[in-house]
Amino acid sequence: MDITTLSIILLAVLFGLLLLGLWVGFALLAVGLVAMELATTAPTGTILATRLWGSLNVWDLTALPMFIWMGEILFRSRLSSDLFTGLSPFTRRLPGGLLHVNILGCALFAAVSGSSAATTATVGRMSLPELKSRGYDMRMAIGTLAGSGTFGFLIPPSIILIVYGAATEQSIARLFLAGLLPGLMLAAMFAGYVMLWSLLHRDRVPAPEPRPTLRQRVRALGFLLPTVLLIVAVIGSIYGGLASPTEAAVVGVAGALAISGLTGGLDRDSLIEALRGAAMTTCMIAFILAGASFLTVAMGFTGIPRTLAAWIGEQGYSQFALLSALLVFFIVLGFFLDGISIVVLTTSVILPMVTTAGIDPIWFGIFLVLVVEMSQITPPVGFNLFVLQSITGRGIFEIAAMALPFFLILVLATAVLSIFPEIALWLPGTMMSR
Amino acid sequence: MRKALDTVYGAALAGACLAMVTIAGLVLIQVLGRVVDEVLKDLGMARLGISVPSLAEFGGFLFVAAAVLALPATLRAAGHVRVTLILRGVGPLGNRVLAAVVLVVAIGIAGFMAWHVILDVLDAYRSGSVSYGRIVVPIWIPKAVMAVGLVVFTVALVDELVTALRGHDPAFRAAERARDVQAGPR
Repeated sequence: MDITTLSIILLAVLFGLLLLGLWVGFALLAVGLVAMELATTAPTGTILATRLWGSLNVWDLTALPMFIWMGEILFRSRLSSDLFTGLSPFTRRLPGGLLHVNILGCALFAAVSGSSAATTATVGRMSLPELKSRGYDMRMAIGTLAGSGTFGFLIPPSIILIVYGAATEQSIARLFLAGLLPGLMLAAMFAGYVMLWSLLHRDRVPAPEPRPTLRQRVRALGFLLPTVLLIVAVIGSIYGGLASPTEAAVVGVAGALAISGLTGGLDRDSLIEALRGAAMTTCMIAFILAGASFLTVAMGFTGIPRTLAAWIGEQGYSQFALLSALLVFFIVLGFFLDGISIVVLTTSVILPMVTTAGIDPIWFGIFLVLVVEMSQITPPVGFNLFVLQSITGRGIFEIAAMALPFFLILVLATAVLSIFPEIALWLPGTMMSR
Repeated sequence: MRKALDTVYGAALAGACLAMVTIAGLVLIQVLGRVVDEVLKDLGMARLGISVPSLAEFGGFLFVAAAVLALPATLRAAGHVRVTLILRGVGPLGNRVLAAVVLVVAIGIAGFMAWHVILDVLDAYRSGSVSYGRIVVPIWIPKAVMAVGLVVFTVALVDELVTALRGHDPAFRAAERARDVQAGPR
């Protein structure tokens, strides 16, 4: 069978099964099985069993359940309200006022959580009702939250980067550090947009509240201190080469338990719920990862990624042209697929093409995360939209429209990152090696 | 029957949680051991040298256990990701037909996986392969945990198919609906 026919059959199988509502992990496995049956005479079952074991029996992956668990504990703690109380005195006087709490709160929570949905939910639970009662424009309140919630995947720790690192055998510690500056850059861009918007729409912003006293500021810092310490312990120990990502994550779990134990708000039941929730999220991701790993091997047998890479090489496209084409492709995929599925499909099929074009795999990981963040806020399938829907009760498409400016800023950020790749690559380059 | 099956799924999930707690515990011992040694070194005293042997290897085994044993519970709680886009447009009958179709495909794949993983376990048992770390473990033991997880997962899928064929909502579909209702009108 020629490779074009095979590719078309496999694409049809993949999207057909996904549309029918087959679970993503199964759909990936099914495409891998079809590919193996059509393209090879190799023993499919044996290879499948070996790959399932090999893809999950990986030490680096233990960071995944630990970071998820840490986020689940903090999600159930008082952190959400503490972040709001701690941040609001500092943002009151800025143009846009407490809207910045969404951005800063998400950036801070993202630094202790690896998930965008958890970040959106934790910050939104507290900030949206507060912003509403103070008369803020709800379109902007929901839009900033939808956009900023996506920091969860970019600012380390990041579940997406662990998945990408495990699938491409890149250092997870380096990927984490590479995400930090782009994450902060994105936060600055969002904050800049909010300021600009509020200066242009003064009639839609409530009057600024009085300047906080020194006493209030110190008190507010007290609320933020535990989170900041936790961030320093987790990210600092990875950067300093003191701890592997898993070790940092376990320190994070211990810290999260200590914080929620001291500040209250965590009983026996919610502890068990946090553990069960973390186990299920881990399982969901691991299943997709295992399916993708088998698909990668199966695709290797078909030779499709090689052919694709060689074809791209012959065309002599510039890196920009290739990245622009990929960006459009990913945005379209992002309408229908969730972030993790996009990442694993990419690593199975597209990565050889990217490395052939001379693109740094660490940098591409960050690029991919930005794209995945867009998929979180594009309808009809976008996890941040689902979370916001359940908090606000508004429709998916309405929320997506509110998030549109932030989607466009994300596109702009990928352009900036492409022109200045050092934004991602500088920090991991300075990392102390172990 | 219902009660027995739910107990099995619950026990598997408890096993997954236990594996996670064990990872955390072992890694914490390792980290604390290192911290204690650093402090002792600064005080000019001898190191205790507390460390967990073969941690990287056991971590991998425990991750497999955590991931695979949670499969059935995650299925029933609608934790596994899927695209539910066209389900909204096909009516109650279409919903039931599609649920049955995806379950049949899933059972085929899960059964195939479980079968070949069992063969792999038997193979490892016969050949007597062991782990490479300082603590030697016959490799069939952690692999058998994966086989158990996949078998229970296949059973859970069949369980859901039976429910669907009897004309009820399978547990995963009910969980998805509950989530949609909670999320309010679309």
